Amino acid sequence: MTADPNSVSQESITVTTPDANPPLPDSATSSAPAPTVQTEAPSDPTTTTGRAVTLSGLHAYYGTQHAVKGVDLAFSANKVTAIIGPSGCGKSTMVRCINRMHEEIPGARAEGHVLLDDQDVYAPGLDVVSVRRAIGMVFQKPNPFPTMSIFDNVAAGLRLTGSRGTPLKERVERSLVGAGLWDEVKDRLHSPGAGLSGGQQQRLCIARTIAVEPDVILMDEPCSALDPIATLRVEELISELKSRYTIVIVTHNMQQAGRVADSTAFMLNGELVEFGPTSQIFTNPTDERTEQYVSGRFG
Amino acid sequence: MSETRQAYQEEMERIEASALGGLDMVVESLDRAMMALAGRDARLAALVIADDDRIDGRYLEVHQSILTLIAREAPVATDLRLAAALLHTIRHVERMGDQCVNICKLVPLLGHAPPVVDEIAERIQEMGRLARVQTEGAKRCFTTRSVELAEVVAAEDAVINRLNRDIFQLALEAGTDFDTREWATCMMLVARCLERVGDNAVDICEQAAFVVTGLFRELSDASRPVSLRSGDEG
Repeated sequence: MTADPNSVSQESITVTTPDANPPLPDSATSSAPAPTVQTEAPSDPTTTTGRAVTLSGLHAYYGTQHAVKGVDLAFSANKVTAIIGPSGCGKSTMVRCINRMHEEIPGARAEGHVLLDDQDVYAPGLDVVSVRRAIGMVFQKPNPFPTMSIFDNVAAGLRLTGSRGTPLKERVERSLVGAGLWDEVKDRLHSPGAGLSGGQQQRLCIARTIAVEPDVILMDEPCSALDPIATLRVEELISELKSRYTIVIVTHNMQQAGRVADSTAFMLNGELVEFGPTSQIFTNPTDERTEQYVSGRFG
Repeated sequence: MSETRQAYQEEMERIEASALGGLDMVVESLDRAMMALAGRDARLAALVIADDDRIDGRYLEVHQSILTLIAREAPVATDLRLAAALLHTIRHVERMGDQCVNICKLVPLLGHAPPVVDEIAERIQEMGRLARVQTEGAKRCFTTRSVELAEVVAAEDAVINRLNRDIFQLALEAGTDFDTREWATCMMLVARCLERVGDNAVDICEQAAFVVTGLFRELSDASRPVSLRSGDEG
């Protein structure tokens, strides 16, 4: 694995954010806190940049079922990478390994390395919450907290992880603007999030994700429950977000991959078959199985 | 995994057959145009000109079918390259038909008994024969997806190009008789049309190679400077 020379060293694994809350005095903690993923978190999130993610020899299992079989893959910083493949090929499992969501399923485990720049998110003792703050996730079905207002939905992550520096209201507004939802909801911030349309709910979930200023956003079929117009709005948003975040999107929609992704990876039966520039994957793939799949000849 | 998109596959095959069938129509027009030219048969020439509407119609039909296919089926990978290549190909077919029309428009200008320079007339007939061979070769190349055949057709183009330059030179040397110079000038225009038919055949072969390799490569480069008096390229 080639480390990015600009990334932080493996030794400096604790939070060193300029606007972080001051550490608790030693007397308040009974033991040393678990190491966390370092985040950059500058005061102005419009200047944040994504970080590269590298999978190295990644295997994932559900009990004895081998779902992801030794994937090596590098997601470039501030690029959109699409993962395509037929149902059950392991693409969602692979993505859920990136922010350690996979291990939450009983009997599930992962082996190998997932590097955020050069920090291994599977390093022993690493605080999993810090991993998920650095690597946010948007799911297939919009899942706003049903009893919470629009404001509280966005603020939820900030309240959990601790809002750093900037006032909460300002962070919520900035996140809703970033998710392209502000103009539509600014006059009803305290209405229930569940009252929004499906497309608006999904953008609310994106606002909730970017509110905690992650480095990477994982999207697992984020538009599969949306109508074509809402889908295009989310796709436009993805294109805007990539200047600040590294984005990995799982999709069954070939045209969506073609429209939004800089690079595309094709998976089959838990293996990575082909990875390359999206234009190449959709015009001149090198592997016959990729050709057959993207042409709709199986799947 | 099950095989899918059978209807789509059949539609793509139908469009390809229709587009390449246009080359058969070009061969037919070319044969008649050369016959009209040799026999100075203005009626046959008029028939070729009128018949070009069939080639134009084929162009419109294939063009529309490909647009519909792209809009409805969103082809990718080899399918996308094939759709793009067929759009180019049918345009070349239409232009080849136009060249046959251009030749036939010159036939009534030749008169019943023009002064013929044998060296030019022989070369014109040879160019017509080669243009036919290239047109058939382009169809075979596309049908068989043969990059090797594409290169053969491109190599044949060098011969037709050389004959075109020969005719230009012979026309310049046709003497001082007005009627002879007028006839020779017409033949120069005919040679130019036949040379373009050959170029279009090579263009179609380039499209066939693109479908196979995914890389566009010019098999002959008309932009390279070539002497009008010698050399095989151009």
